[in-house]
Amino acid sequence: MKSIKNHLMFILPLIAILLGIEFFLIFERLTDAYEEKLKNSYTMLAVSEKELTIKDFQAINSNIASSIKVERNEILKEISAGQKPEDVEEILNSLPNFYNLKLAKYLDTQGIEKLKKQLMASGKIKKVETFESSYSSNYKLFKFIKFILNLFILFMGIVSLFLVIKQMEVWGYIHKERMQVMEIFGAPLMLRSGILFRVAFLDAIISTFIIAGIFLFFSYYGVNVGGIDIVEQNSKLLFLPLDGAILFLSALFIVLISVYSVVISSKEKDI
Amino acid sequence: MPNVVEARSLSLSYNKEHTVIEKANFNIRKGEFVFITGPSGSGKSTLLKSLYGSIKANSGLLKVGGLELKNATTSKIQELRTHLGIIFQDYKLVNEWSVAKNVALPLMIAGYSMDLQQTQVQRLLKHVKLSEYANRYPYELSGGEQQRVGVARALAKNPMMILADEPTGNLDDYSSNVIWDLLENACVQLQTTVVVVTHKIPMVFSLPYRHLILENKGVYEVH
Repeated sequence: MKSIKNHLMFILPLIAILLGIEFFLIFERLTDAYEEKLKNSYTMLAVSEKELTIKDFQAINSNIASSIKVERNEILKEISAGQKPEDVEEILNSLPNFYNLKLAKYLDTQGIEKLKKQLMASGKIKKVETFESSYSSNYKLFKFIKFILNLFILFMGIVSLFLVIKQMEVWGYIHKERMQVMEIFGAPLMLRSGILFRVAFLDAIISTFIIAGIFLFFSYYGVNVGGIDIVEQNSKLLFLPLDGAILFLSALFIVLISVYSVVISSKEKDI
Repeated sequence: MPNVVEARSLSLSYNKEHTVIEKANFNIRKGEFVFITGPSGSGKSTLLKSLYGSIKANSGLLKVGGLELKNATTSKIQELRTHLGIIFQDYKLVNEWSVAKNVALPLMIAGYSMDLQQTQVQRLLKHVKLSEYANRYPYELSGGEQQRVGVARALAKNPMMILADEPTGNLDDYSSNVIWDLLENACVQLQTTVVVVTHKIPMVFSLPYRHLILENKGVYEVH
């Protein structure tokens, strides 16, 4: 019973830290997915006198992935209703070239503004429409939530780390006498602290399995988060195989540091 | 007989400031039984700790089993300790281990097989008359019995030298005599060097063994 309690007192804060790490990884991936979605659905409009190719646009700014020319006849249909044929001809001749530009990567408001300035400064573009307000408002909210969550993860991690250290002090107290006696009789470090390493290694595995299991479950069976598309459409991003390795290595790192602190503090100075 | 301990101009201190032994010279030969006595604070325990490498000399030379301890590496000191048997006044048994496991500790460290450990432990427990206590825990034993377990543990690997720090300090006369008999037997029958730190001066004079006294930061022979 005592032993189970000792394990739990170590496993629970370790789980909290791993939970924080997993949340961090998930939010990084969701941010990437969200940026990709924004980037794919975003188009800016450029107007030029002369015909331009994609190479012309990319020469101005390499973040432009594609340019699709808007058919002049389509525009003409919209604006020439009720006009005389000779006027329509004149309108057609005076119409500039319209291009829908797609981006190669997500750009924030400053990036978009910079791109717009470069296009305008090139002398080839007469006007650029960026539709920036609808583009950035959701993203800013998303970034803000992510920032708050990271702060919470950090806070949770620090509190959990203190709990791990506290539990290490308990372990140190429990094992100190035995390790000191073994040291006096010439036991090497690995022999006198072997049991601690085994227990800590086991706790690292258990914690990793618990967190990996929970997120693996959600990634397979989906998660209902009240209609938040970016999470529901990307449930596979809730757990990737690499996460298991990251979680286990993190847990191992924490337990090794903890065990070493116990081993160092139990040196035979008091004997 | 060759020297097991060799001290030349040895200076020792505890807490790095308080010098208790200064420029001491003495030897302890193989198979000798040596008492070390002295008033409180004279450095008896400090000297004993220096013999198993727990305290390093400030200056001078201290060799145990041919190993110069001052500059010895941790692994060399670990190796030396596997050839020593150490007995403490407060027994220093591991309470969560059975008596048998406590006795087997030096054998476990030396990498003996489980079968060999078991055979040796049975023999040792019989020797200290605790055969029936193998599966008990130290906290279930009296002080005298715990110290007999401590002696059995010290003898487990047939050590080159036994170092005992006030081994009978917490024991009644009967239990003390049992411990002295065990230590004398180890010395006489196994030719094990035995170094005992004690404050029981009358008892020291009643036994025909070598006596070193620590006084005024020196180590002196008592004839």
